[in-house]
Order: sequence, then C-alpha cells, then structure tokens
Amino acid sequence: MNLLSVRDLHAGYGKVQVLYNGHIDVEPGELVGIVGPNGAGKSTFLGALAGSVRASNGSIDFDGASIKGKNPEDIVRLGLAMVPEGRAIFTDLTVNENLRLGLTGRREKSGAQRAIDEVMDLFPVLTTHKNHQAGLLSGGQQQQLAIARALVSEPKLLLLDEPSLGLSPTVIQDVFGVLARIQEQGTAIVVVEQRAHLVMSIAVRTLVMREGHIRATLSQADAQDEAKLAAAYFGTGEDRE
Amino acid sequence: MIQTILDALSYGGIYGLAALGIGLVFGVMRLVNFAHGELIAIGAYLLIVTIDLGLPLSILIAVTGTAILALLMEFGVFKRLRLAGPAVLLIASFGVSVFLQRFYEIIFGALPLSGQIAPWMAGVIEFGDTTITRGSVVTIILALVLLSAMWFFIEKTTLGLQIRAASSDFQTARLLGVRSNRVIGAAFVFSGVLAAAVAFVLVTQRGSVDPLFGVNITILALVGTVIGGLGSLQGAALGGFAVGATISLLNSFLGNYRVYTYTWLFILVIIVLLVRPGGLISNKAVKERV
Repeated sequence: MNLLSVRDLHAGYGKVQVLYNGHIDVEPGELVGIVGPNGAGKSTFLGALAGSVRASNGSIDFDGASIKGKNPEDIVRLGLAMVPEGRAIFTDLTVNENLRLGLTGRREKSGAQRAIDEVMDLFPVLTTHKNHQAGLLSGGQQQQLAIARALVSEPKLLLLDEPSLGLSPTVIQDVFGVLARIQEQGTAIVVVEQRAHLVMSIAVRTLVMREGHIRATLSQADAQDEAKLAAAYFGTGEDRE
Repeated sequence: MIQTILDALSYGGIYGLAALGIGLVFGVMRLVNFAHGELIAIGAYLLIVTIDLGLPLSILIAVTGTAILALLMEFGVFKRLRLAGPAVLLIASFGVSVFLQRFYEIIFGALPLSGQIAPWMAGVIEFGDTTITRGSVVTIILALVLLSAMWFFIEKTTLGLQIRAASSDFQTARLLGVRSNRVIGAAFVFSGVLAAAVAFVLVTQRGSVDPLFGVNITILALVGTVIGGLGSLQGAALGGFAVGATISLLNSFLGNYRVYTYTWLFILVIIVLLVRPGGLISNKAVKERV
C-alpha cells in the first residue's frame, strides 16, 4: 500500500497555476526523486504536498487519508515533514532551539528527548554547536540542522527541496549519504533536485518535471543513459509520458 | 538630577512596554497596528469606570477587557486579512482605530472622563535633600517587572520560542507544526496586557481619558519599534525605551523651549536611521553563510 498517493494535482499561487496533473506514488521507506530545470514546478509540487501551496484540483492521500486542503501545521502532525529550499533555519535561534521547534510537529509528545538524541547521533556536529546561534553554522551544517529539525518530528515521509543548493561537492556527498541512512531507518523520502545524476543514483525512481508537468518517470538504471535523461530533462525527442 | 534620571527611566520604561506590545503583533503578522492606541484607551476607560470596585479588581478588569478587545480585533478583522499584504493590514488597522475612537465617543462621550486612579502615586519620597515622585518609582518597577516577565516568556517558554520563530519566518514555523492561530492569538493577548499596563501609568499621571488617549504614545512607540529594528522584539523594547527616555530628557533640558522637544526627537530619529537603517537590533544581524 502506498504511503503517499497523488493524482491529477493542480497547484499555484493566486490565479497563477504552476503545477498541472501532478502525480506521484511513494511506498513506505522508498526514496523518490523529482528533477527538472528552474521553473519546472518542483518546489510548488512539494509545497502543495506539505500544505504551504494551495492545491486547486486533484487528490493527495497520505497514510490512508486525504490531506488536500489541510494546513501545514496539521499535515506535519500526520507524519509528513518538509525541509524547505534554502534550508530556512532560524538563524537568530540556537541549534537547540531550532531542534525544539521541530518537536512541535510530533504526533506523540513522549520520546522527544530520544528523538533529539537520535538526530544528534546522525549529525554529531550539531552536538558540538547545540548552544551556538544557528546563523553561525556553515552552509553544510545548516543543511544538516534543517534535516535534523524535520527528523525530530519522526516523520513517515520526509520532503527535501534542493538539499544541495549552495553546498560544496564534498558537503553534498555527506548530505546525500545521510539521506541513505535515514531511508535505511524506514523513513520514506521525496527529494527535489536540479542535480539529476545525484538524486537518480539513490532514488528508486525519479520524476522529471518541465513547465509544470511531469514529463517522464526514470528508473535508477536510466541514470546511466545520458540520451534518455537529456530527452526527459530538456524535452528533446519524445517524452515518455 | 536624580528625578530627571528617574523620569527618563520611567518614560523609557512605559514607551518600551507600548513598543513591545506593537512589536509582538508586528513580529507574527507584519501588521503595524495603529489601533494599539485604542487598546490603551479602553484600558484607561475600564480603570476609571471600575475604580470604585477597588484598585486590584479594577486592574484585573482593565487587563482582561483590554486583552479581550485585542483578541476581538484579531478574530473580527485581522484574521480575515491573513493573506492580504502589509498595506491592506495597515489601512485596516487605521479603520479599526477610527471605528473604536468613534465607538468610545458614543459610549463614554467626547469629553475627557476623569477619575482618580491610585492617587498615592502622586506623592513624593524624600531622601535627605532629594525628593523623587512615587509615580516615577512605581512606573520603573512596573516596567522592569513586566519587561522581565515578557523576556522570560519569550526566551524561556515553548510558546515564546514559537512566537520568536513565527516572527522570523512564519511559513517555515507553520511547516514545523507551529499553530498560526495560537501564536497570533497569544501575541494579541500579550499586546493587550501590555497596553493595559501603559494605560494604568498614563491614567494615573493624567487623571482623565478621552477617545484619543492612546494615539500620541502609539505613534511614538511605533517610531521606537522602527528605531529598535522592526521584527526584533528586543529591538522594539529598546527602541521604545530610547524614544521615551529621550523625550523625558529633552523636556528637562530644553526648559522653556520644550515646545521643540519633538523637533529634536525626530532629528535624532533620522540620524539613527541614517546610521543604522535596519534599526538598533536588526532582525537579519546574522548573515547567511554558504
């Protein structure tokens, strides 16, 4: 049974529609990628799933219930957490305070300290800096904090919007290594990226978006097929969907 | 000289409380609430009309009533404008302000309503050759207690943490599970409580209240929130304190020329903003690193 099942989703901002016929299925523990050029509608798609962007048509079923039209604060309590583009950590607050905010979205209030200890194990650098202002962390450390903050709510599904944005190649490898470990622990992940090869190497399948539509669904093996990837990404040749 | 310093501290404290009340609501809603003055006015009206019940009960009624009116503003007007831009919110707050001024006129009359609230505050305390007014001492203590309580609430409680987060980035706070209605409602309630405290001090000084009672201090407190740094709660309190203390000091030092107090105040305000356009405590003090 799918953890997340989306059909014919339309979403946008005011009268401007950005996403058309969005669809995605995610099973528990799966890692699914979404790639595409700037302006393809990837972030709008994630925003609509998390409740921060208004979905006009279509259905979003999560964990057996419809979440379309629900508030972000209700959706996170159902077990769907999001790490927004640009990390969006609270730079004026300490690392510890950022993590405490992440606890707000927990379904069960017990086990909060255990959840914080677990993310500290996953990201040991946060232990060192727990009382430091988050704005003083490096970009990679801030990305780790943003992921950790989402994880302390113990989500069933984690949405990540461009986690590699503004990071050095070494740090990107570290961040994606952590995503694999999170997935191993049973959390499903949907990751939006512009670096197609990077996400396709760890995703069970990857949706390619262009101009607000999902144009193709590629398998992990397709990551090696440059022609197929280019055709889906840039619209050259025939779209697969 | 001691009285001058105490006056500056008490003025600063009371303007700091007013600015913090405005800053709390601005932080979570990006709403510059001009109707904060009418919260101060209703606090003063409630104190005067209920003072015969005894000061403690009168204060309780004033604080509760002001907090309820603040919540009514939120639920009746501003909640319906959540998706509107700052300009719409600003104009709406003007509308609420004028509506309440006319409403007070109908209920309490256009002329000042007089009453003695805590007359013991008008007395003096003597230290040898020095005399200081009780009012300034009580005001300083009240401001210190309330600012400390607000500091504790904002810095040490979970709801305070959520308000700070919502003040910084409302959308991200909601994604983490922070309930928007709860933090905005809390900000309005605390804004109302602080307005009632300001009303208490002002009405004990003036002895009367009229429909425009809170307008002047609200405008100057708004200046304080801008000087302190819009979006920063510490900045709002600090900026409000700076404006109040400066007014008091200018009044003392200008003597017969005190008619120019506001001229000098706004010259200083312009200089501060030219040097620090983001205010004394900028909300973006920490630069993003990559």
